[in-house]
Amino acid sequence: MVLDLLASGLVFSSIIVLGSIGLSLVYSIANFANFAHGDTMTIGAYTSLVTFGAVGGLGGTVLGIPFGFFVALLVGIAVAALVAVVTEKLVYDGMELDSIGLLIASIGLAFIYRAVVQLGFGAQSTRYGIQALRPIEALLPYGVRVTQHDVAIVLSAAVLVTGLHVLLQYSDLGRKMRAMADNPDLARVSGIRTDRVKLWTWIIGAGLAGAGGAFLGLYSQLTPRMGFNLLLLIFAAVILGGIGSVYGAMLGGFLIGMINQLTPLLSDVGIPIGIEYADAIAFVIMVVVLLFRPNGIAGEAS
Amino acid sequence: MSREEESNGYLDGLTTTEIVVSAVVVLFALVLFGSLLTGGLAPTYFLYLVGLAGMYALLSLGLNSQWGFSGLINFSVAAFFGIGAYGTALASASTSPIAGGLPPVAGLFAALALATVLALFIGIPTLRLRADYLAIASIGLAEVVRIIVRNQDDWTNGSAGVRGIPSFFEGWPVLATLPETMPTLVFGSGPGATVLNTPFWQALLNVGLVLAFVGASYLVLRRAHRSPWGRVLRTIRSDEDLARALGKNTYAFKMQSFVLGSLIMALAGVFYAHLNLYVGPGDLDPITTFYVWVAVILGGSGSNRGALFGGVVIVAIREGTRGLPLDAAPARLLFIGLIIVLLMRFRPQGVLPPQRELIWPGTVDETPQQPDTGVRETKAGEK
Repeated sequence: MVLDLLASGLVFSSIIVLGSIGLSLVYSIANFANFAHGDTMTIGAYTSLVTFGAVGGLGGTVLGIPFGFFVALLVGIAVAALVAVVTEKLVYDGMELDSIGLLIASIGLAFIYRAVVQLGFGAQSTRYGIQALRPIEALLPYGVRVTQHDVAIVLSAAVLVTGLHVLLQYSDLGRKMRAMADNPDLARVSGIRTDRVKLWTWIIGAGLAGAGGAFLGLYSQLTPRMGFNLLLLIFAAVILGGIGSVYGAMLGGFLIGMINQLTPLLSDVGIPIGIEYADAIAFVIMVVVLLFRPNGIAGEAS
Repeated sequence: MSREEESNGYLDGLTTTEIVVSAVVVLFALVLFGSLLTGGLAPTYFLYLVGLAGMYALLSLGLNSQWGFSGLINFSVAAFFGIGAYGTALASASTSPIAGGLPPVAGLFAALALATVLALFIGIPTLRLRADYLAIASIGLAEVVRIIVRNQDDWTNGSAGVRGIPSFFEGWPVLATLPETMPTLVFGSGPGATVLNTPFWQALLNVGLVLAFVGASYLVLRRAHRSPWGRVLRTIRSDEDLARALGKNTYAFKMQSFVLGSLIMALAGVFYAHLNLYVGPGDLDPITTFYVWVAVILGGSGSNRGALFGGVVIVAIREGTRGLPLDAAPARLLFIGLIIVLLMRFRPQGVLPPQRELIWPGTVDETPQQPDTGVRETKAGEK
């Protein structure tokens, strides 16, 4: 039972982590809470749906997932990033607003994204045309019910997160991003082209969100509200880890995903709170963290 | 409104935007009135729209007194609207799992009491937070409220909602039976005739109720915001450190403003419950919060007449999208999104930003009739 919940927590965490990294990156560099981030995930998911419908299986499968899905995943990442770039150029770039104004504008963008998806695909839920799998036999004796798809989600997320880590620590762009997150004005006078770095931040953040959305669609199903429904959990993760810290977002995403899936344990230890309150618990944790440690568990003390 | 009092040179005192907005409003009213006369718009439905507009105006007035005056980014409007609706529904409805059957006036006070408790529950932890954290935390707590309402079947009937809510005037002396006793009037003849019967009189009563709510809230807010209390709130909004340096307990002031605004939002919920005669967990959906935010930003943050204007525009979007060849729900979302983005891009201060309404009229009587001559010119150093 506990092992099973831990396993499903790991899968759910992978999706939350992919979402929270992008939110945190944008928070640290563009300096506002991006309410359109969840709907960027939705865009990634639906783009993958369309692409997968077009390319189909493409021969072989990895972990029960057709090659075509990985092509669709890459297209989903690309389109989510493209939407973010176009949005940055068209909307945010010309705005002379404080972080609150940008936050409100991002709510408007969230609605536009979601409305476009819903106009194209309707409000009802849909799935990728991928055969659902039975849980992996070898793990069943331990009470763990995970499918190969779940393993694929965790592995893909691990690859993406590791890639981001390498990018941040060892590449020129990564160093510039860290410098800018630390102190944008200092970065600018040091000769860093902050506009270009900001654009790359949007691309990376939205790309990871697109991947997270595609996996979320594989994990459960696709609806126009899927990303928005996840957004507050992602905020909780980012705040728990410390706003603006990428590694904090990874840790926070992991913890929030785990806590969310481990909620049934509460009733086992005598606390009568059902699984339907899993999200509510995360939101309460978020508020408590904001109150007592607004810089998050990984952030420096203020 | 206060502008009407300045009958002398009324049009001269308006800015170009105000003239344009007034013209649009008058034109819109004429179109509506025209379609009423030609039978394109049923009178009962028209009154329903007026009622809805009044409800959104109430919500915007409430949010305006939090965001526009004190700068509190409250993203839990839907929770206060919902708790107001549930408060009166649980007290007065026949299917209420708790009390039920109480007179609607008792429901009104139950709703206000519940809203006060909720305002303290949300306000105590969040009002100390930085502005953007406050936004995220308040929407999170609003979702907690929604999840509780949806899942605690023994308190709220869960996802089934509460039915059998009486109309607000049930049990009142004359008003309770007024719609039934009023005569049926028929204008015109044949299938195009306009019939004014019981539903029409009922709708008229509802409009009267919401107008009373809006009027009372408007007067209270106008008085409050022109008072020294309101001036402290505006100081907090523009510079909280300054307010604190002047010896004000800013947390207490923000809390008072938060509770006041929340009570007005709950009032909107009370009206809605007795208009709709049914409430469900869907009424706490966060989309209501964003509708109201659009109304307030569109009207101009801090401007009470802007809040009224915003309420009308929201209803025009909500109900106007029904006639479009598009799917109504996403079309509505698209309009709301576009309005937000365009406003923040081109006119973040809103269409009708606050001007004279922040000051007692008496204090401006002393100023020169035409401020363009005299003070300003010498200040600019010209001539």
